[in-house]
Amino acid sequence: MNKAYINGTGCISPQHTADDAWFFDRIVAPDTDFMQAIEPSYKEYISPNLLRRMGRAIKMGVASANMALQQAQLTAVDAIATGTGLGCFEDSERFLMAMLNNEEQFLTPTSFIQSTHNTVGSQIALILKCHDYNFTYVHRGFSFESALMDAMMWFSEGKETILIGGIEEHTPCYVELNRNAGKLKNPGNIPLWKQHTTGYQIGEGGAFFAVSQHKTIHSRSVIEGVNTLYKPETPGDIMKKMHAFLERHALALQDISLVLMGFSGHSLHDKKLQEILPDLCETNQVGHYKHLCGEYHTASAFATFAANRMIEKQEIPEIVKINHKPGEGVKHILIINQYLDINYSFILVGQC
Amino acid sequence: MSQRIYISGLGIISAIGNNVEETFHSLSQARSGIGKINHLTTRYRDEFLAGEVKLSNAELADLVNDHNPQLNRNSYLAMKAAKEALVNAGIDPKDGMRTGVISSTTVAGMGKTELYYKDMVEKGTHLEVLDTHDCGDSTERIADYLGHVDYITTISTACSSAANAIMLGCRMIKQGLLDRAVVGGVDALSKFTFNGFNTLMILDREWCRPFDDTRTGLNLGEAAAFLVIEGEEALRKRGGKALAEIVGYANTNDAYHQTASSPEGFGATLAIKQALAMSGLQPSQIDYINMHGTGTPNNDLSEGTATIAVFGDKVPRFSSTKAFTGHTLAAAASVEAVFSVLSLQHNLIFPNLNFKTPMKEFNLVPETTLVQTPINTVLSNSFGFGGNCSSLIFKKA
Repeated sequence: MNKAYINGTGCISPQHTADDAWFFDRIVAPDTDFMQAIEPSYKEYISPNLLRRMGRAIKMGVASANMALQQAQLTAVDAIATGTGLGCFEDSERFLMAMLNNEEQFLTPTSFIQSTHNTVGSQIALILKCHDYNFTYVHRGFSFESALMDAMMWFSEGKETILIGGIEEHTPCYVELNRNAGKLKNPGNIPLWKQHTTGYQIGEGGAFFAVSQHKTIHSRSVIEGVNTLYKPETPGDIMKKMHAFLERHALALQDISLVLMGFSGHSLHDKKLQEILPDLCETNQVGHYKHLCGEYHTASAFATFAANRMIEKQEIPEIVKINHKPGEGVKHILIINQYLDINYSFILVGQC
Repeated sequence: MSQRIYISGLGIISAIGNNVEETFHSLSQARSGIGKINHLTTRYRDEFLAGEVKLSNAELADLVNDHNPQLNRNSYLAMKAAKEALVNAGIDPKDGMRTGVISSTTVAGMGKTELYYKDMVEKGTHLEVLDTHDCGDSTERIADYLGHVDYITTISTACSSAANAIMLGCRMIKQGLLDRAVVGGVDALSKFTFNGFNTLMILDREWCRPFDDTRTGLNLGEAAAFLVIEGEEALRKRGGKALAEIVGYANTNDAYHQTASSPEGFGATLAIKQALAMSGLQPSQIDYINMHGTGTPNNDLSEGTATIAVFGDKVPRFSSTKAFTGHTLAAAASVEAVFSVLSLQHNLIFPNLNFKTPMKEFNLVPETTLVQTPINTVLSNSFGFGGNCSSLIFKKA
């Protein structure tokens, strides 16, 4: 696997990330259990005749992909790899409800066509007329990580520029069902990493990255590595894997300017991260990010976007900090994500 | 990057059998598994045919010996076929080698979600179904059933999904990230997909007739099929036996339409050519093509045109096996990868059932009976919604 230089980013999230500004200065903190994405005016990014038919996931995905391409000044890529846990859920739900309510009659194909998980990736291919490699990963909290790893593998197989991204949308009905199932909560004023109750604030959004094998004049930061860890048994397993991961990149914890952790606020899911937190705080500047984007399958794509911003600006905003360690510069950020205490991942982003 | 990739285990459950042996028997006897719908609840039960696995969910639970109420049909099928592949390869997942599980699905847990969604919304019951709706669920069930995994992911690229799972496994082994992987796909039938294809008006009410001039659409099927693939080093180290080699693969995008294939088969042509280039084989060295051949007017025209674009007037012997199993969507490419390996092992071409009249547009005639002939190489195509085109090339080990 080779490094992936980030030449352009696009992010639609519960924060003001759609423009290129330093979003950490105007944080949105909704007093609910659902952090909805702040959607931009899509007309700038998607032609009106396409826009009319698209569901939200497709709009968020295609628009953030376009932002990333514009920033990288690209009109073509060698491959597209996207990640999404639930795909185009709005269209799936629309077709499902119509089918159930009308007893399988009077159905139209549009929402079925758009319900397939690879719709975002293929819409981008259609718009770019990209006949090259196109993959969609749909594995829970590994969806974005898989797309990222795919791109990094392609860089050692010769491809030069690749578009990767993660997208998740949540419908009001899906949120309500999760609420009724007792999965959600409003975390209130207690920081996510300190929570003692179950439930999380659900979020959504799309984040895309135009990445390249070689450094370009547009390069902002570099993704140095990614690793996934399925159902680690103990906090010690995570630490062991983390050290091995850093070692593979010729780094140690003291080289890491910020450890950015995926606390969701769900005390059971966060238990292992809570247990490794004190040790990490001893040695490192530690932060978290899901109070900014909420918990969802591809939240690590938002974390990668945020890490890129911090490295570009050489600043770690107060809002992400868990402890306060004096340090110089922002050289490497290590993202440690967890999803449902099942899918753990490490993503290493560095200065370039 | 030079490591060769071998297939060392096969597992399959579909309309024509619950394991590899039954499957091979049905293929050799030209016995289709497509028939009247028995297990799927739909108002179209008597109007359409489908390639159902001939077991109820309760029987499947017995078969995998797991009665966890959170398992759904997708998971049962996936677990059954993945386990067979691993046992066939003679692998212990806990022997210290790095094993990946790379699966694919399009329907995921929808087959159960559609039964309970109204209750979930209106009565607030059955909310546990939320936990098994997504595509990752059945893959994690496989991993947990096998007992150990070093890498896990799931792909969903419509009807080409399993080809891409196979391809990713090959790439990860070649890059030294894994020693071996269980790769493939699963899709159980659901009312959702059934109605979706019905609204697209591409379901045939009769038996599907791939590459026949009178074809009007596909029959849906359900299946899971998995391969164990290993790098040559890992295979040699444990003294495993290679069943076949994977020598070429390619993934391209037609970028023509969200659901339809381009009439000239642009993406398909590109995929076949790229897979051939990787394999180092000349078109004339392909002994048999297992076509995607769904039986829809659009696919067979596009695929036939692409085949001629690559092979000219020397098109290898070919058939579509969709009339045996129905179109098993995400699983189709791994189902047909199993068939391709059986072709190589037994030097057989399995027939393209229900074919009578060649298409007007070109002079392509599939094999319609079981043909015994030396088979050293097989090309297998899979195309899907979203323009996803994938081709795989298998070679005798």
